Amino acid sequence: MEEVDKILIHSLKQTGTNVGKDVQSVKHFTSELIVEAVVRCLRVIDSALGSGLSPSLPPGMSARFRVGMSLAQACQDLGYKGEIGYQTFLYSNEPEIRSLLMFLVEKLPKESAEALDQPAGKSALLQKSIAAQIKAQLAMPWLPPSCRLPMLCKTQNPGPSYSFQCQNLSLPHFRNVPGNKQLKEEKDYHRDFLLPVTAQLSRHASVPASLMEHHAAELSATHEWENEWNSQGLLSRLTPEEYRSRKRARLQKRIDEQLRTATQPRPDSLSAHRSGSDLTELLQFFGGSPLPGDILTKGTRFTHTEKFTFTQEPERSAQQMAAAASSLPSSHQSEEDLQTQQQEELAALQQKLQQLCLSLEEVGGDIRQLTVSKQQVSDELKQKELSNAEKEDSVLVKKRTIDLLPDAENNLAKLQALVEGSAKRVVNLAAQWENHRAPLIDEHRRLKELCSNREMESSRKLTEIKELHDKIRQSAEEAKKKDGLYKQLITEFENLPKDVSRSAYTARILEIVGNIRKQKEEITKILSDTKELQKEINSLTGKLDRTFAVTDELVFKDAKKDESVRKSYKYLAALHENCTQLIQTIEDTGTIMREIRDLEEQIETENGKKTVSNLEKILEDYKAIRQENSALAAKIRDA
Amino acid sequence: MVHLLAKLPPDECPKLLHRVVDGICGREPPRLADYCDTWTLVEWMELLQFLSSLFRVAVGKKMPDKEVLALLEDVGSGHGEAVLTALRARRDEIRHALVEKTNNMSSSTLQDFDWQIKLALSSDKISCLQTPLINLSLDVKKNGALKAVSVEMNREELQKLISSLEAANKVVLQLK
Repeated sequence: MEEVDKILIHSLKQTGTNVGKDVQSVKHFTSELIVEAVVRCLRVIDSALGSGLSPSLPPGMSARFRVGMSLAQACQDLGYKGEIGYQTFLYSNEPEIRSLLMFLVEKLPKESAEALDQPAGKSALLQKSIAAQIKAQLAMPWLPPSCRLPMLCKTQNPGPSYSFQCQNLSLPHFRNVPGNKQLKEEKDYHRDFLLPVTAQLSRHASVPASLMEHHAAELSATHEWENEWNSQGLLSRLTPEEYRSRKRARLQKRIDEQLRTATQPRPDSLSAHRSGSDLTELLQFFGGSPLPGDILTKGTRFTHTEKFTFTQEPERSAQQMAAAASSLPSSHQSEEDLQTQQQEELAALQQKLQQLCLSLEEVGGDIRQLTVSKQQVSDELKQKELSNAEKEDSVLVKKRTIDLLPDAENNLAKLQALVEGSAKRVVNLAAQWENHRAPLIDEHRRLKELCSNREMESSRKLTEIKELHDKIRQSAEEAKKKDGLYKQLITEFENLPKDVSRSAYTARILEIVGNIRKQKEEITKILSDTKELQKEINSLTGKLDRTFAVTDELVFKDAKKDESVRKSYKYLAALHENCTQLIQTIEDTGTIMREIRDLEEQIETENGKKTVSNLEKILEDYKAIRQENSALAAKIRDA
Repeated sequence: MVHLLAKLPPDECPKLLHRVVDGICGREPPRLADYCDTWTLVEWMELLQFLSSLFRVAVGKKMPDKEVLALLEDVGSGHGEAVLTALRARRDEIRHALVEKTNNMSSSTLQDFDWQIKLALSSDKISCLQTPLINLSLDVKKNGALKAVSVEMNREELQKLISSLEAANKVVLQLK
């Protein structure tokens, strides 16, 4: 039984029951422990069924009773066949509890074997390893910085947790655009005063961040420029410089408009004396604001991309506005003269343009006509050449016939002979050709068939090869999967708790099976012994009966003659009767002995049920319930 | 104030000037500790303020060299030349810094950002969470004061942020 109890306790521990170390067998289970174990098992088996039950026994007696009832009901719902009621939990006896727990443990869901069949993905493995790592790190104690071993420095130092900040860097190639010649002073500065990048910043940690930010900003600016150039710039058919300047002008105009609309409606705002309508002053204010102590820090990528396009606007517009302002008064004076002059010039130029257009159109029409006529002429030429060749052929034929005319008969005969010979030759050749042709065609057909056969074969083989390839791939995949599964299972197996040795269980089971077999053999032996004994007894009784009958007859015959024999007959009868009684008594003794044994067993089982202590408990609980009842009654009365 | 510069020998002038320009461009300005023999604290502050505003105005207004020299005529010509040399060498960088400052005109501007990716393995209620989280910290400059804003987002929230930023970028592109 110890073995069984160990298994039971182990499974109960797995369900989350808090079984104490000193509890070694079911005999030591208290009511509280039983209730907890049963509730945990129920929760694992059927969460809906178990969720309504609390794993701890309430203090009140009636509440305990109710808990016992509901637990019994739940167990019966699960299909427990044995006798069960509240008393099973509250006034436990060992065999009942054991059978109940065995039933519940058997009902526990098996480790989901299907889930393990699929190898977990890489991410799952990674997450598992991360979790394991973190668990290990959490398990390690924290040490003050001076006591840390190098191994701990990696995980416990706050090193990798500082934030990255970036600052502007000064780099020689910063605006080193080709065509933009470097000044001598700049070169001197780069050579003599510019610090290396690593020394330019106050904080050493921000160097990589700043470098990367710088690089990203330049890269994104280049990308954006390339995108724009490829999408719009190329279509405009300008050189990059022209495109840039045009865009700059457009943007400048836009900004000017924006600023004008922004400044005009609020002349009485903060910068009233500046804004007015004079943009130049405003822009100068933007351009050269002499604010001291203001530190310009790094811009984002966003501002970077903006800055590349907006770079020169303020000064540019300032210049522009200044130029406009200076040119305004002078243009006012000679405005009318200029206008008349320009109009005249315009009219003259337009006339000239119209004339030129007309002449251009005329010339174009001439050219078109000429090309059309040229094509016609070349076509005619070709036709003429063709007819010429035909005529030459016919002339040649006619010339020969004229040559043959003088000796007409002879020539006719010759010609006929020639024609006949030719016809014969043709027939001959046709026959020959037929002769040749038949085998060749056969050969051709044969070869064709062969070819098609081969093609079919090859296609068949090709499909086979493809199938094989597929199979190989599948097998490889499967092998890989199985390999992964194997590895995973190995790791899992290594991680499994080693407290339950499977081999011990199996050995034990085998031993038990062997024992049972031995017992069975013994039982059969005893059974056969009993049967033999029975047979012997039967034969002996038969013999006795027969012997008695014969003796009885003989003695009875003699008894009529002799008085002494009669006496012996009487003795014989008495002896027989006594012996029968004796046998009967022995048999009775045997049954009684068996009954005694049965009763002893019953007493033992009753003793095992802890009846006395349970009765005491029941008495106490009864008292408790009575007290509760009386308390409740008192309450009611008070109320 | 210009005469203060005369206290420094002309050979050492360029180094100081370049550090001042570095300060304008958003790096470490020069420290008094290196020059405490030459100037007092008040003098130092005045000089620094004067030099940085000089550089800014000269670049921002595109002053010709003569005007700059006229501002510097109190000190010796050697010092004036040194300032001019530094100005010529760093004109582009200073202009860049100024343009950037004009770009950051609105009430609060983003100065810098940093991000960290975290993977929440589990929480107090769920044993297996596996949710990636991003920790985005923004350094926002509002009225001259740097303020750190830290946001933790999950995947959907980050997607939302990115899409709204992309929409903003589209608007900017349309402006161009």
